[in-house]
Amino acid sequence: MKGEAFVRLARVTKRYGARTVVDAVSLDIAEGEIVALLGASGCGKTTLLRLIAGLETPDAGGIRIAGERVAADGRNISPPRARGIGFVFQDLALWSHMTVAGNLDFVLASIGIPKRARKTRIEEALQMGRIEKFADTYPHRMSGGEQQRVAIARALVARPRLLLLDEPLSSLDADLKANLLAELATMQKALNVTTVHVTHDREEAVTFADRVVMMREGKIERVETVDRTRFANT
Amino acid sequence: MLDLVASNTTVKGITLRLPPVLPSARAITLGVAVTLFLLLCVLPIIYMLGVSFVGRDGSFSVGNYRQLLIDARQRELLLTSTLLGAGTALLATIIGAPLGVLLARTRLPLKRMLRIALVIPLVVPPYVSALAWILMTGSTGFIARWFGSDLLSAWTYSLTGAILVLGTSFFPLSMLATEAAARRVNGRLEEAGLLIASPGRVLWRITLPLIAPTVAAAALIIFVLALAEFGVPGLLRVRVFTTEVFTAFSALYDFGAATALAVPLLAVALIVSIIAKLIIGERLLVARRNLHPGLVLRLGRWRAVVIGFLAIILAASVVLPLSTLAIEAGQLERIIFALGTSGDAIFNSLYLSTIGATLTCALAVLLGYGRARSGARLRGLVDLLLIVIFAVPSTVVGVGLIGLWNRPGLVGAIYTSQTIIVVGYLARFVPVAALMLAASVRQIPVSVEEAAEVAGASWWRTLTRIVLPQMRTGLAAAWVVSFIFCFGELGATLLVAPPGESTLPVRVYTIIANTPPAEVAALALLQVGIILIPLALLGFFSHGERGAR
Repeated sequence: MKGEAFVRLARVTKRYGARTVVDAVSLDIAEGEIVALLGASGCGKTTLLRLIAGLETPDAGGIRIAGERVAADGRNISPPRARGIGFVFQDLALWSHMTVAGNLDFVLASIGIPKRARKTRIEEALQMGRIEKFADTYPHRMSGGEQQRVAIARALVARPRLLLLDEPLSSLDADLKANLLAELATMQKALNVTTVHVTHDREEAVTFADRVVMMREGKIERVETVDRTRFANT
Repeated sequence: MLDLVASNTTVKGITLRLPPVLPSARAITLGVAVTLFLLLCVLPIIYMLGVSFVGRDGSFSVGNYRQLLIDARQRELLLTSTLLGAGTALLATIIGAPLGVLLARTRLPLKRMLRIALVIPLVVPPYVSALAWILMTGSTGFIARWFGSDLLSAWTYSLTGAILVLGTSFFPLSMLATEAAARRVNGRLEEAGLLIASPGRVLWRITLPLIAPTVAAAALIIFVLALAEFGVPGLLRVRVFTTEVFTAFSALYDFGAATALAVPLLAVALIVSIIAKLIIGERLLVARRNLHPGLVLRLGRWRAVVIGFLAIILAASVVLPLSTLAIEAGQLERIIFALGTSGDAIFNSLYLSTIGATLTCALAVLLGYGRARSGARLRGLVDLLLIVIFAVPSTVVGVGLIGLWNRPGLVGAIYTSQTIIVVGYLARFVPVAALMLAASVRQIPVSVEEAAEVAGASWWRTLTRIVLPQMRTGLAAAWVVSFIFCFGELGATLLVAPPGESTLPVRVYTIIANTPPAEVAALALLQVGIILIPLALLGFFSHGERGAR
């Protein structure tokens, strides 16, 4: 592993009542790395992702992002918006009352980017996601695959340090999924954004990630490094 | 600002755990909303309960209750009130539940128009319907004049008359609840039944049992609403708890008796609300999903019967009352004349209801948001509180407000101004608006808010830019319903309105005995007309929006 970990989870624990959903999980993620969290539903992978994002509060343990303590001792220190995160939700959570460009604009305006700079940033993001022609379209008028692209563009438009993906492709058919995954990988490499990808699909995990973290009953069961050379020139 | 949130400081390896420095914007906003709700809506009722235990000498006493128990007239009152509630619930369900099934599971012509027409009785204030029936069947009404003898007035001014008026006013509630419940039934369940049984049997054995709890809960809510009604029994001279509370207070100035009379009402409202809530659970607020219906009933030879039933219901609840008012009011000049003589009251009603509905929705949207985003156990409790408060009769709220607000100083300044009328509107209608808006918030996935939070938006920005815009249809509906309620409010306003200030319902109620029927009818008609305007606008715009999706 190269250098100091970009994301460092130290004995992170989350309980719902008597049930321990995430059980003292420790994990280091390097800068620019893609880590897949793989496991059956209910294994705690989505909760772990939400803990990294700050959408859940840990009961114990600490989280550091880029060396900065964002959670420690059973409390969140930084709120989600101060963590520099892009998040793609399972249901995409597109703001249905705003156009595609409006969705992106809201993100940039929220972090205080001046209006003129926002316009170019939006155009860049739309181009990257290949959805330029949908700029003034409302999300509900678009197909499932196109909506995924909007969600990804929205997560990346603010140039986050860390991209968190919560099974965003699970509702797509196999062909579309493979296409989007390949594009996502290209974008990820171009932006060099550290990525955590939650999935229950082993193949998806292996094609996309540098490392696959297998989870079971709130614990890390095994970590596998994907041998990229196997996929070279295929 | 972010730095202030960080509160754990490490000094020489020792971690100091400090409390959060600042409560979040969300906590402050919702805290203010809950405080206002407790002050405006809950405190008057707690005050009534408290005062009922104070004797004439100011010490703790159950004297008011002893009086209530030994007095035979009070037992009769309890009987009449219960009969009024039960009769109304029964009649409204007998009419409303079949209509709901028809709307959900048959192909009727003009179904959309039909549904709107059938909802009209619910938005016309019940006292207006009572007035129309008096003008029709009372001792100087139509029928008496036509036949030259007073055939129906004894029957009009009776418990039966009140049940008929309230039953034909409240049946749309049962209808809408039944239709929504039927639409929630998964069509696959019915299709599985249709493979082996006739459509009639599937309806009877599968669909109806699945919607029965909702129908029952709607009946209980109607029971409570009828029990809380003041205008109809007041006009039809039926003595029930709500009218006696009013008399005890405004005629006899007996505060103790008025509060003690209110307590049985509160108790019944509480018990029935709890039962309704237990039956209905979360269903009350689940978004209406239009599942594919598995069962579509063909009316066949029943078609004539169904159309006859619809015609009778529409005639009795909409056409007859409204045309009576129109005919009694007569020419347009009469209505214009009424506009002139009651101009102040009409103006007051319009602007107080506009302010009332706006403030009601502003407070209710925060409460609804808090309710929708809170944990399951708290949610159940909050729902119950909201239902119970909405079930508190208007006259009880009115007496409670007088007891609380009639005191020197700033509070008294509010009490002696028109503001107290708006306070009355808020006390009565914030709970129902909050329930409606909570349902609207729950249709917005939490992830939509989280996406904004992750993106860097503050809670306030997320609320105003993401949550509120997405619930605009729900907000518009809640505003219109609040406006209709405020505009028709009678019982509380009658008690709290400062001398010389009145609203349209109060004016109609007070002039009815010594004013020509034509003027009363003209004012009542005006009341209906003004209510139908925002309703029509809402129907128009929400239709347009649905069409766009």
